[in-house]
Amino acid sequence: MKKTALVLALLLLPWQTALADAADAVRSPVGYGSKGYVWGKLLPEQAAAMKLSADPLRGKEAFRGCRGCHKPDAAGVTDGTYPRLTGQHASVILKQVTEVRAGVRINPKMEPFSSDHAVSPQEIADIAVFLASAESTRENGKGTGDFQARGKRLYEDGRCVKCHGRNGEGNGDNFYPVIAAQHYGYLKREMAYIQKGIRGNSHPEMVKAIKHYTDEDIEAMADYLSRLPDYRLSLVERQAK
Amino acid sequence: MHSASLNAYWQLAAIAVLVGSVLWLPVAQAQIPPLAERLQLCSGCHNPDGNSVIPENPKLSGLDPEYLVRQLQDFKTGNRKSPVMGGIIPLVDEKEFKALATFFHRQTPKAGGSVDAKLAAQGREIYDEGIVGSAVPACSGCHNEDGSGTEKYPRIASQHSTYVVQQLLSFKNGGRANDSKAVMRAVAKRMSEKDIRAVAEYVVTLKGAE
Repeated sequence: MKKTALVLALLLLPWQTALADAADAVRSPVGYGSKGYVWGKLLPEQAAAMKLSADPLRGKEAFRGCRGCHKPDAAGVTDGTYPRLTGQHASVILKQVTEVRAGVRINPKMEPFSSDHAVSPQEIADIAVFLASAESTRENGKGTGDFQARGKRLYEDGRCVKCHGRNGEGNGDNFYPVIAAQHYGYLKREMAYIQKGIRGNSHPEMVKAIKHYTDEDIEAMADYLSRLPDYRLSLVERQAK
Repeated sequence: MHSASLNAYWQLAAIAVLVGSVLWLPVAQAQIPPLAERLQLCSGCHNPDGNSVIPENPKLSGLDPEYLVRQLQDFKTGNRKSPVMGGIIPLVDEKEFKALATFFHRQTPKAGGSVDAKLAAQGREIYDEGIVGSAVPACSGCHNEDGSGTEKYPRIASQHSTYVVQQLLSFKNGGRANDSKAVMRAVAKRMSEKDIRAVAEYVVTLKGAE
């Protein structure tokens, strides 16, 4: 009897892990794919926070509540569980944090820590400018490097560069994120989420652009992007890397 | 005539005494005792200097006064439940909370006792790095590396491990639910009882001075 229970429990283990993963991957009721979802239409809180005057020094202080996951140097966890935030556009940080707390981007891991008790709109604005100028002190997590060439070709030939730029620099004015030098694991996971339509706050054009790629294509692009240097380096430094 | 007016006089006097005593009673009850006297009520469990020596009862010394007031208010309203504090708190007036909190905030915290070094080392790993696989953030993110806490999250340095375990388990099962926006509950739910015991052991060793 005991043995049967044990065997059953062991059999259920992988299933439970799969369930835990699936819990992350649910479609947002107000996000991408829902009726009335318009990408880039600012939530009232976002519009208000965008107008605040932000201060990186205050942001450094306010970032303390984020260190638990994103680490004191804001470079996240190398395996990609938590993204590297240094050098991300302030507008992107502001958009993502407020959309996580509004439930547009489903992120159960982060949701409790994005509440207005954890961070006020002013603090989000301050954190955003702090991160945009923060330096990375650690190497990011990279792919094997075996598929770089394929990744580069797919990235540059595809529609990716149109928004994210040749250096993976994104575009702060349009809320397009920096993707260069991001952790490989994070790039791979988020691209898969976007492809499946479960990132919640995806740009519909992005979902379309990524739709036809295979898992191997995505791995190759993640490999390539993780190996791009920080876009803030000068052109000379970038070419040397 | 004479006796009737005397009768009325006594009646009036009796009413005056009655009304007076009725008015006086609540006033007498609301009389706030001097702080030193009131502290005797707290010191039995939390020690006169707030450094409780009973592992089930928290040390209050050095805690943020606003945090302490919030806890007392929550005990009063029943938002935070405790069989012990639940019996004590009706005796204390809300007006006293601030002075009590300020008193305990000003007391010097005493270092924690001896710990199981192996367990504390496991706890340190969780405290400083979190548990990536279970999405547990590092405790140091909100409570600081030295456990000194911030204006939003309380000091936990040198707290009794028994109390910390009890509270984290209570957050985990939802018994304690007075954390703002359920932040602590969210974290505790992601921790196993083993994780909780390890972290609590490490918290004892924290010094809290920034």
